[in-house]
Amino acid sequence: MLPPAKGNWTKEEARHLLGRAGFGGSPDEIGRFHAMGREKAVDFLLNPEEPVEAHPKPEWADLKAAMADMAEMMMERREMMADTRGMSDEEAAKKRQEIQKEIQRESRRQGLEAQHWWFNRMLKSKAPLREKMTLFWHDHFATSIQKVKQPVLLMKQNELFRNHAFGNFRELTQQVVRDPAMMLYLDTQRSSKSMPNENFAREIMELFTLGEGNYTEEDVKQAARAFTGYQLNRLNGEVMQSARAWDDGEKTIFCETGPYNGKDVVSLIFKKDACAKFMVTKLWEFFAYEKPVDPAMEDLAATFRKNDYVLKPVLREIFLSSEFYGEEAMATMIKSPVQYLVQLIKELEMESAPLGFPIMGQTQLGQVLFMPPNVAGWDWGKAWINTNTLLTRYNLAGSLTKGSVGGMMGRGDGKLGKLAERRGMRGGSVGPDFPKIAPESRRNETEKLVDGLIGRFFCVPIPAKARDSFIAYADSKKGVSFTDKELGELCHLMLSTPYYQLC
Amino acid sequence: MKTRRDFIRSAVLGASATWTLPGFIDRTFAELGDEARDRSTQFTTGKDGSILVVLQLAGGNDGLNTLVPFGNDEYYKARPKLAKKQKDLIRLSDGIGLNNSMPFLGSLFKEGRLGVVQGVGYPNPNRSHFVSTSIWETADTTNRANTGWLGRYFDNACEGVDPTVGMSFNKSTPESFGAMRNPGVSLSSPELYRWIHSGGNQAQAEEFFSELNQPGNDDEDGPTDGGSIDMPAGGKVGGLAGESNLDFLERVALDAQVSSKKILEVAAKHKTNVQYDGTPIARNLNLVSRMIAGGMATRVYYVSHGGFDTHNGQINSHDRLLGQLDSALKSFFADLKQQGNDKRVTLMTFSEFGRRVSENASAGTDHGKASCMFVAGGGVKGGLYGKYPSLTELSQGDLNHTVDFRSVYADLLGGWLKAPNIGKILGGEYKGIGMI
Repeated sequence: MLPPAKGNWTKEEARHLLGRAGFGGSPDEIGRFHAMGREKAVDFLLNPEEPVEAHPKPEWADLKAAMADMAEMMMERREMMADTRGMSDEEAAKKRQEIQKEIQRESRRQGLEAQHWWFNRMLKSKAPLREKMTLFWHDHFATSIQKVKQPVLLMKQNELFRNHAFGNFRELTQQVVRDPAMMLYLDTQRSSKSMPNENFAREIMELFTLGEGNYTEEDVKQAARAFTGYQLNRLNGEVMQSARAWDDGEKTIFCETGPYNGKDVVSLIFKKDACAKFMVTKLWEFFAYEKPVDPAMEDLAATFRKNDYVLKPVLREIFLSSEFYGEEAMATMIKSPVQYLVQLIKELEMESAPLGFPIMGQTQLGQVLFMPPNVAGWDWGKAWINTNTLLTRYNLAGSLTKGSVGGMMGRGDGKLGKLAERRGMRGGSVGPDFPKIAPESRRNETEKLVDGLIGRFFCVPIPAKARDSFIAYADSKKGVSFTDKELGELCHLMLSTPYYQLC
Repeated sequence: MKTRRDFIRSAVLGASATWTLPGFIDRTFAELGDEARDRSTQFTTGKDGSILVVLQLAGGNDGLNTLVPFGNDEYYKARPKLAKKQKDLIRLSDGIGLNNSMPFLGSLFKEGRLGVVQGVGYPNPNRSHFVSTSIWETADTTNRANTGWLGRYFDNACEGVDPTVGMSFNKSTPESFGAMRNPGVSLSSPELYRWIHSGGNQAQAEEFFSELNQPGNDDEDGPTDGGSIDMPAGGKVGGLAGESNLDFLERVALDAQVSSKKILEVAAKHKTNVQYDGTPIARNLNLVSRMIAGGMATRVYYVSHGGFDTHNGQINSHDRLLGQLDSALKSFFADLKQQGNDKRVTLMTFSEFGRRVSENASAGTDHGKASCMFVAGGGVKGGLYGKYPSLTELSQGDLNHTVDFRSVYADLLGGWLKAPNIGKILGGEYKGIGMI
């Protein structure tokens, strides 16, 4: 077991835990979290009171309804096709294209709404670790809407991740094997007895459970045979392994032989020692820091195995360990774009994101929900930052602190605006709650004002020279009065620094 | 062990220099150091190096109506509505003609300055825009690479980490720029590639901003031990070995600031008296020419011309797109000539795929496979390259490729950009097609 953290539970530690295990928070939120004490705070994260159903999903995302819609649509399509009889080839083709376009339009709209929905959920959820783990799984079992094309299936997968947020890793992997979105993403349904597709068999070992070097090419080949015959029923959205299309012959995988199916392969994988260490290392890197030392990971892996691959005890051990609050972990992580955006909105005391802001920000910063770049997920850490994305982060912060997002989004005249109007996604606050960020009374003492803002925005200790700059800037703004406008400019300057990129 | 800062201060700049240099300058100086002597990397001063411009035709350009096999009856059979008649073409060889919306490219060809590659593609082609674009940009047909072919060139073959080694005038960073260390810069316009204050007293705000975005604020804190200037960190992230995330961020912040200033200056200073159209592609090529005139150290520029997904009513839209391209290129090359930079620049077009041989019922064409590429400018030996794909031996109604696009890349990387380690960049040995 990792040596547990001892001694005082400081406010910095509370901020650190809420930042890593969630998406940070306003000073009030951090204060409440701190007041719980270390153990209670970790319990709060791992046993959230907020039910999974707390944030109702869009109507179209209900799988049953969506399948019914799909059936209806197919019928309609057939009717419309029938209508094309008697038309010229050209007219008929045009008609077909119209139908196709309509379907694409609807799917794009739903995709946008799904992205919006999840981002807001991260922002508002009272179960921050559950959302963070859902994001972890989304990256781990990466699946993109760009290929799957049916938002309803991504939403179903999202629900699966959320339900298994701290649950059993083996069970989740079994479910992912039969997940329609994953299946479409990795072309499992095209894998047949005569031509087994090694894609899924390879990814599951290399990326999902064991890591390179812990299986052989022959294992992949044999496992591919076991993963044949999976079929997606487009009418109920369920995946079954068809007995007829499945290769029922003997396979030898990890030196064991039997007429294995996909489920058996997953069981075999989870008998291997490498599996636990692979996953705990990935978790550690996600929550604490990269390249941890080996013995610590062996300890965590032992906990994971002892608990039959249930994640909760492992997460608990991480968050209560002294190493998690050590020098290497505190304030050293580069925020991912999604983390950056959610945290920024929280720290600016905004109830919700301005319309379109989350998608625009995610696109420009390189992490769009439901659109990981490939099956390996996103590259994290330093890979988020280059000169373009850093300047963009600075300017996105500026657009919020100066309330100019409306302008950037074309004031709702554009496609996004109209769309949002129709979907009732409009509303919410337009800018930061400046009186809450710094009450008028505090604005005259610039040192106090700046220190308050430093406490709000930064987890890194700010060098004296930078603090002096902030104060000098605030002093230069003081003039007649320190209105929200000047405060916004001060905030923007503070957010336009390397320090703000860390959590 | 010497720390990175100590190294800069003492070994390179002398004790008096303070640590306020952007990463790419410190790496330039590092080049002077002993460790750098044997390195097989290159550096350009911005005045002499060869430059590559990559021009994307987004949406899947119909190669068959761009480079027309007018000598082949099958072409006319497959395209009763869309086929181009021989009299409407610029003849390039027996049986092959260029769409006559491109008179400038036609004249370049006659002067021997345009290379036309026929039947370019790759094995097991993918018909999705998204996947196939990704394959062309990463030069990885398994679509698994997280870096692009140009990003790997920046990482492996370009000295220093000058962020302006690659510049893209696109809304988002092209996948081909994806790099471990240096993904170049991407900007939709120079005016947006900067810190936007948009509040009161801008000059003063910018002064504060610039102060906060250079290293040195934390001078008292412990140095990063063991940081080596030369070795990029292994693994999935960018940055230098042993560099903390904060040090890394400070370095990028300074790079951003310095490169932004430079680009704005160059854009403001260099205008041209060559007339460009108002199309986005013309505007962007105009920007590229201004950057070149300004002596940027950029080796690769990337621009994009969209709208080639011509599923219906193709004939007018496709010709119009090619015409816009041709006109923009005409201005661009005239501009370069006026600057005296025309010999330094080679331009390559690419598109994610060609289109189906047979036209569809809406007088358009659907996603296909092999297509053609144009390579124009400085280093090109003009002429037709590769072999026109057969119009009878098709794969699912599509042309089979005769040239792998990676061998065109190999030509440009090796022959033109003089990259020393092409195999590493392209993930395999590809023989060039001898175009440069």
